[in-house]
Amino acid sequence: MLKLRVKFKKYSLIRYISHLDLMRLFQRAFRRANIPVEYSKGFNPQPKFSFATALALGLTSDGEYMDIELQEEIAPEKFTKDMNDVLPEGVEILEAHYTDDKKSLMSIIKSSSYIIELIPLENSSKKSIYETINNFKRKKEIYITKSKKKKGRTIEREVDIRKNIYELDIILYESDRIILKTLLKTGSTGNLKPELLIKALIKEGLQVDDVDFNIHRLDLFTEDPKWE
Amino acid sequence: MIEQKTLDKILLKVEKPARYIGNEQNIYIKKEEDIETRFAFAFPDIYDVGMSHLGLHILYNLLNNEKGIYCERVFAPWIDMEEQMRKINIPLFSLETKTPLKDFDFIGFTLQYEMSYTNILNMLDLSNIALESSNRDEKDPFIIAGGPCAYNPEPLADIVDFFVIGEAEETILKIMKKYKQMKQKAMTRKEFLESIVNIEGIYVPSFYEVKYKEDNTIEKMIPKKKNYPSKIKKVIQKNLDETYYLDKMIVPFIETVHDRVILEIFRGCTRGCRFCQAGMIYRPVRERSVENLLELAKKLIKSTGHEEISLSSLSTSDYSDLENLVIRLMDEFKEDRIGLSLPSLRLDSFSLDLIEEIQKVRKTGLTFAPEAGSQRLRDVINKGITEEDLINSCKDAFKMGWSTVKLYFMIGLPTETKEDLEGIKNLAYKVREEFFNQPKDSMKGNLKITTSASCFVPKAFTPFQWHPQNSLDEFKEKQEYLKKIIKDKKIKFNTHDAETSFLEAVFARGDRRVSKVLIHAFKNGAKFDGWRDQFKYDEWINAFAETGVAPEFYANRERGYGEVLPWDFIDIGVTKSFLIRENERSKAGEITPNCKVSCSGCGIQKDFKGGLC
Ligand code: SF4
Repeated sequence: MLKLRVKFKKYSLIRYISHLDLMRLFQRAFRRANIPVEYSKGFNPQPKFSFATALALGLTSDGEYMDIELQEEIAPEKFTKDMNDVLPEGVEILEAHYTDDKKSLMSIIKSSSYIIELIPLENSSKKSIYETINNFKRKKEIYITKSKKKKGRTIEREVDIRKNIYELDIILYESDRIILKTLLKTGSTGNLKPELLIKALIKEGLQVDDVDFNIHRLDLFTEDPKWE
Repeated sequence: MIEQKTLDKILLKVEKPARYIGNEQNIYIKKEEDIETRFAFAFPDIYDVGMSHLGLHILYNLLNNEKGIYCERVFAPWIDMEEQMRKINIPLFSLETKTPLKDFDFIGFTLQYEMSYTNILNMLDLSNIALESSNRDEKDPFIIAGGPCAYNPEPLADIVDFFVIGEAEETILKIMKKYKQMKQKAMTRKEFLESIVNIEGIYVPSFYEVKYKEDNTIEKMIPKKKNYPSKIKKVIQKNLDETYYLDKMIVPFIETVHDRVILEIFRGCTRGCRFCQAGMIYRPVRERSVENLLELAKKLIKSTGHEEISLSSLSTSDYSDLENLVIRLMDEFKEDRIGLSLPSLRLDSFSLDLIEEIQKVRKTGLTFAPEAGSQRLRDVINKGITEEDLINSCKDAFKMGWSTVKLYFMIGLPTETKEDLEGIKNLAYKVREEFFNQPKDSMKGNLKITTSASCFVPKAFTPFQWHPQNSLDEFKEKQEYLKKIIKDKKIKFNTHDAETSFLEAVFARGDRRVSKVLIHAFKNGAKFDGWRDQFKYDEWINAFAETGVAPEFYANRERGYGEVLPWDFIDIGVTKSFLIRENERSKAGEITPNCKVSCSGCGIQKDFKGGLC
C-alpha cells in the first residue's frame, strides 16, 4: 500500500469552510491535478484519504495533516507542485512523504498548539490579565459545563479541563490585543477545543471580548512531539 | 469595497458562511485598471440554488471572456445573513470583489421562478437602490432581467429598467458594446435606453403606455415614440455547436442543489405538452453534436474535478443519438470514477437499460411524471404517456431491483373531474400491485411510492394560457379528497401549497398593475416566498387589499381569444393561432403528435429556422 502523508495549511477565507466541504474540495483537486488516488470499491467509489483531525469552522492552521492512498507511486515533490497548481487560494500543501505507518493519523495525534488572539475589554489592565492567567495555570482543577445532544435532549455535564492544558503563555500584550500560545490535548483519547479554553478563561475572570477572537493552529503533535 | 475585517465580524454568526466568501476555483479576477464595465449577475435566491443554474455559468464566463467587462456574482443572502448585514449596515455586495451593488453599471437578474420576485426587491433594498425604475438617478446601475419568466415581463415593469427576451448570449454583448460607446459620449440614462431599444430582444417597459378597458382588461399597449418596436421578438442561438460554450465552471465550496458538471445537450422540446411553457418558448429544438459534447465534457471535468456529469435538457430521451453519447461518455470517464446522471429521462425499457448500465443498479429512486391520473386527461394535456407505458416501466424497474418510485401529478388541469383524481390513486395502487406481483424471490428492497400532486398554474404562451386556475377552495377540496382516498402504508402522498400556486398564477399572467402589489408585499415583509417556512400569505392578502388589485382577476378568470393579453407584444415564433388550435384540440381530447413524427405548424419555422424542424 502506497501511503502519502501530507502536511498542509489552511488560511484566509478557507477558514469559513467546514470539514466536510474541505474533504470535497480535496477530492476535486485530486482529479484536477491528476493524482492517481486509490478508490473504495462499491456503488459509490470514494477516494481513499483521511485527515488527522477536523479543524473547526473559523480556524486557520499551519499544521494540518492527511494520509492519501495511491494507486501508483508519484514523486512527493510532484504531488506537492501539481496540487498547489490547482488548489484555491487558502489551501496549500507544505510537504509530503511516503510512510509505512500502519496506524491512522487520527489515532496517533495527541496534542495541538494554537495561537489565540484576544481583545481586552476597555476597563482591563495588563496587571489583571497577567494575574488571571497565572492564577488559572496554578489551579489543579478547572470545571466547565459541556452540553451534549442526546436523543433530542441536551445533557449538560461538568468536566475538568485542567489536565488537558499542557501549556499556556501570554506571548504578547498590547492595549488592544493579547496573544496567547497554548498546547492542548487533541485526539481520540481526549480533546480540548481552544474555544472552550477561552470560555473557561473568561469564566475565571479574564477580561476579554467573548465573541471577537482569532484562533490559529500551529501544529499537531504525536507523543513524540517531533513529526516522523 | 467592503473590508474583509468587517465581514469577519459576522460570518461566523451565520449558517454556511461559505455562501458569502467567493474565492472559489475558476472565478475571474480582474485588475481594476482593466475594468471598464462592471456587471453583477444577480440570482434572486440563495447561493446553493443559484450556483446550480446553468445560465449563470454561461453568462458569467461569456461576459468575463470580454476585455474590459468584469462580471461578478451576487445571491440573495439567507435571512440570518441579512439580519447581520442590516445590523451593522453592510450593503449587498458582489462575491468576487465585495463591491456594493450600487457601484455596478448593470445588475442582471435571472427570472427562474415567479416566487423569487420579492427577493429581487429585497436585494435592491439591501443595496440602497430605488425599487422603482422611475426613482433611480443617473448614477444608479441599470436593473435588467432575463430568463424564462421574462417572457411575461409586465409584473416587473415598474421595477426593471429593461428586459432581455430570449437566449441572452448575443444580446448581452450587443448591450455591452453600446454601453461602452455611451460611456465615451457621456449619455444620460434615457439616452442609453433609446440607443438600445431597437436591438432585437430588448424591452424597455417605461417606453410604453398601457390603456385599459372598463372591465379592467387591456385595450392596447402604445409605444411612446414611433421608433419603439411594437413587437419584441425573442432571440435564440441558431446553432449550438457554434454558440458560445461553457468549458469551465465555478466549483462551489459548499454542496449546492446540483453539485456537478452540467452538459447542455440540446435546447427546446418536441413533445408539445399543453401546460408546459418551456416547451413553447424554447422552440425549435437545437442539438449539440456528440463530438462537441464529448470535447466539452472533457474540458469541464479537467477544469472542475467534479465527480459527476449531468446531461441537461427538457427531455433527455429525445436526444437523437443518446445511446452513442452515453456509451462514449462512460468509456471516457469510467477510469476516473466519474458518474453520469440523466435527469428528465422518459423511463421506457431502453432508458432503464441505459440507467442500469450507468448505475449498475445503485438503487436511487426512479421518477415518472404522468401528470394526470386518467388517459382522458393525459390526452387533454397532450402528455404522450399511457398507463401501459408506466406499468411496464415499473415492472421492468422492479425486476432490475428498484424499489423507490416517485410519481408526479398536477391537480386543477382543465376539464379535470372526480374520476381523474381517482385515477391518481388508481395509478399509484397499480404500481404498488405490480411490485407485489413479482415472484417472491426477485422482490428486492422495501417498496416506497411517493406521489406528489402540485397545483396547476396556467402560464403565458401555452395553449392553456386562457384557462382559469382552480380557486383555493377547489384546490383544497381536491387535496383533502386525495388524502382521504390514498390510504396505503407503501404510498406517501404529498401536496403543494395552494396559496403559493395561486400567487404564481397571478404573476405568471399578471399585467403591469401587479408591480405595485409586489412592492407592497415586500414592504409588508414578504421574501423567499418559494420557501415554505418563509412564506407569509397574509402579507400578500394585505398587499392586494392595500393596492386595490384583485388577484382572482389574474388567477381565476377565463379569458376570451379576443382579449389582449399582457404578453401579446412578445413574439416567441410560435403563433397565437397555433396555441388556440391546441387549446381547442385539448377540449376535444385530441392529441398532437411529437414534432419528430410530424409537424403541426406551430409557426416557429418561419422566422427561427435552424433547429430540427
Ligand atoms: S414547426 Fe412543426 S416540427 Fe417545428 S416545432 Fe413547430 S410544430 Fe414542431
